[in-house]
This record gives sequence, structure tokens and C-alpha cells, in this order.
Amino acid sequence: MYGKGLLIGLGITLREFFRKKATEKYPEVRPKLSERFRGGKLALDPDKCIACSLCALSCPNSSIRIVTTKDEAGKRKLAEYEHDTGACMYCNLCIESCPQKCIQWDKKFDFAGYSRKHLVSDCIAAARLKKTGDVSQEGTKNEQ
Amino acid sequence: MNNEDILLRIGSGLRQLFGGVLPSPDAVDIAMYFVALVACVALIFTNAVILILAERKVAGFMQSRYGPNRLGPYGMFQTVADVIKLLTKEDYRPHGVDKWVWAMAPVILFVPPVMVYAIIPFGKEAVPVDLNIGIFYFIAISSVATIAFLMAGWGSNNKYSLIGGMRAVAQMVSYEIPLVFSILGVVMLTGSLQTSVIVEKQAGVWFILLQPVAFIIYLIAAAAETNRMPFDIVEGESEIIAGPFTEYSGMRWAIFFLAEYASLFAVSAIATTLFLGGWHGPAFLPGWIWFMGKTYVMIFLFMWVRWTFPRLRVDQLMSFCWKFLIPVSLANILVTGISIFAYRAIGG
Repeated sequence: MYGKGLLIGLGITLREFFRKKATEKYPEVRPKLSERFRGGKLALDPDKCIACSLCALSCPNSSIRIVTTKDEAGKRKLAEYEHDTGACMYCNLCIESCPQKCIQWDKKFDFAGYSRKHLVSDCIAAARLKKTGDVSQEGTKNEQ
Repeated sequence: MNNEDILLRIGSGLRQLFGGVLPSPDAVDIAMYFVALVACVALIFTNAVILILAERKVAGFMQSRYGPNRLGPYGMFQTVADVIKLLTKEDYRPHGVDKWVWAMAPVILFVPPVMVYAIIPFGKEAVPVDLNIGIFYFIAISSVATIAFLMAGWGSNNKYSLIGGMRAVAQMVSYEIPLVFSILGVVMLTGSLQTSVIVEKQAGVWFILLQPVAFIIYLIAAAAETNRMPFDIVEGESEIIAGPFTEYSGMRWAIFFLAEYASLFAVSAIATTLFLGGWHGPAFLPGWIWFMGKTYVMIFLFMWVRWTFPRLRVDQLMSFCWKFLIPVSLANILVTGISIFAYRAIGG
């Protein structure tokens, strides 16, 4: 029939008109990130970490910097742990290589800064802040 | 309380007020016409603000987006912000334009839609100027818009503008014919060109039921007359940037937009008058609300079509008009005439 395609087209747009929208009202409504989403900074658990440096070694871009010390018993201990998100390509190799499963993505992806320095995250300090309950420093749901 | 005539009551109140101040009845008439003009212009401006937002919302919704939603609840103040932005922009005139023709074009384009508002029957006895040749006046006035497009195209001294202007002329002159022929069917039924009489005769049956083909032809031709998608070859971005509007910016450009939405409302209001029974409707709401409601439904229809179909090619547009719409509209007139004759022969 002549013009049938036109009616089908009108039907599609009308259905779309009443359907749930694909876009989100972003800063107010936070996106639902998938389980395997890779992004944000590395969330480290310093208590579980054995300072093996495997994550730093596995990183193709050398975006993880680890400084280790030895304690009284001669055991290796984590002194500094920095994640340079500006160099990170979110390949997930560090997380996969960790034998203790002590790093994961914090999935807080909105951390734009004014210089490259802002992109370097001190993971130990972040973990300490998280432990003390003061999470307001990092991008959280209540930040907006 | 009979809320049917709120507009009438305001009118008679103003008439009494002017009668006390002004010396002669003629002066009162002139003052009333002036009030009607101001009311129409105010309607156009508020409508443009609402319709631009509505258009963007409809576009968003049909593309699975929210549309403007940042400024105010549901993005209500988006258009206001846009207008402020456009007003504060530099009034830039490119080199080599034909100064007067270029500057006059947006103003002249804005005039015909404003004039059309004079004959729109917003409610029972609430027509700004109830001409006995109202529809004829509408047809005559809406043709004038063609000149403004050509002026903008020619005056801009830009090849894309000129092509756009020429396309506008070709398109608008061609589509005027099916537009007029589709209206003719209604005029044959009523025997009158007066808009108030046409609405009065639809008290029983709306003419969309008697003239469905004419209604569809009117829709198509009106979309083409107002240069809206899918007939916006005048300003086809992918081909000729923005056509005649290319060299305009700031408030001059905004006036083009204003004129587009003013004429969109005008053609929708005329469609309501001719086919959808004008102010008639169940009595729990006053007539002017029915009228505005139907007009907005028509506007939604135009937006719906706009955001569904892609743009036609120039040759497709022309052949569709001359080879399809005009023969069909002529056939519609023939069938209408025969039907009227047969009805008279049977019913007396």
C-alpha cells in the first residue's frame, strides 16, 4: 500500500515518545555501572597487600609506583602506592595479577583536575580516608 | 456561571472602558483593534517561547532523550535563556550584503503570520477581525512570506542563501495550489469564506469527517508552506548550510525562528478552524480552551511528522506536489461537488 512505510515510521516515533529514555540526567542520576566496569582510581586494601610489586610490574604503562620498606622482622612492607590515572589505560592487568586480590576499581570516574598532579592518586591515603569514614574527599554520590 | 464568554466579557469590559474615555464609537473601534493586535503579538511571543521548548522536548522524546532539562523544572527556562543569549549577541552584518534587503527580510517574514492571526476565531464571537473573506485573506497573506525568503536569499550575497531562497520560492508557490484546493472543499460545503461561519457550521459534524482527503492534503501542503520537515529543503543543512538564514545571527536570526513558529501556530489554528470544529467541544470547558487544545494537537502532529521523516529531494518535492497532490486535490473538489449536488437532489 502506498504510504504504509510512512505510517510505520510514525508508529515507531510515537512508541519512542512514550518509552523510557535511553539517556540519563547525569549529574543528578548516577549511571548504573556494570560489574566489570573499568574506571576511576585503584582502591587498595593496604592491610591485605604483601608489597609484592606484581601490579607495578604487570602495568604496561608503568602507571603504578610502589615504594617498599622492610619492618623489624625483615618482612617487606608497603610504604607508598601511587596510581597515575593519567598514564593508566585501564587494561585491568594489575588487578588480574594481584595474588591477594587487594586492588580493585573504585569506579568513581569523575575526578577531573586542573593539572596532571591531580591525576595521581595516593592509594594508601585514600584507603585510610575511606576507613575513617571520611569519604567526602573523593568523588562520591553526594558531591553534587 | 457561563464561562463560555470570558474573552467576550473582557472585550465588552474594555469597550465600556474606552467608551467612557474616547470621544466617538469609531475611536473605540480603532482602540479595540489595537488591543486585538497587541493581544495577538503577545500570543505569538509567548507561543514561540513555549513551542520552541516543546519542539526540542518532542525531538528529544522521539529520539529517546530527555531534551532540555537543565534550566528550571523540566528545562522550562531554556528558551528564555536562549533568547537572552541571542539578544546580547553582536548585531553582525557580513560584508557585501544588500544592506536594506538583507535587514528587512526577517521583519517582512514576520509580518504575514501576525496578519493571519487577525482572522483566527479563538472563540465564539472572539475573532480579532471577522472578515467575510477570511480564508481568502489567509491565502493571500501567507503567499507574501515567499518574498521575504527570496529577499533573505538574494540580499545575503551568498550562493547557498540564494539557492535556498530560490528553493523557497519554487516550493511555496507550488504548494500554495494544493493548499488552496484543499481549503476549497470546505468552502464548498459551507458556502462561506468567513472563518466564524465555517466554525458555526461544524456544530454537528467536524469537516475532517466530511473532507478527510482535504485534511491530509492541507497537512502536507501546510508543512511545505511553513518549510518544516520533511519539506525543509529551503534550509537543508547537509546541502546548503541554512539556506537564506546562513548570513544572519543574533536577534535577526531569532526573528526568523519567531516567524516560523508564528506561522506554525497560524496554519494549525486554520486547520482547527477548517477541519476540527474550531471552538466547538463539550461544554465543561470554554470554547477558547477547546480551540487552543485542538491547535496544540495539530502542532504536535506537525512536530511528530517533522521528527519522523527525512528530508525530500527537490525534484521529489516538486513531482510529489504537481503529479500527486494537485490531481488528488482536484479530484477531491470534483467528488465534493458531485456529492453536494447529489445530496441536494435527494434531500431537496
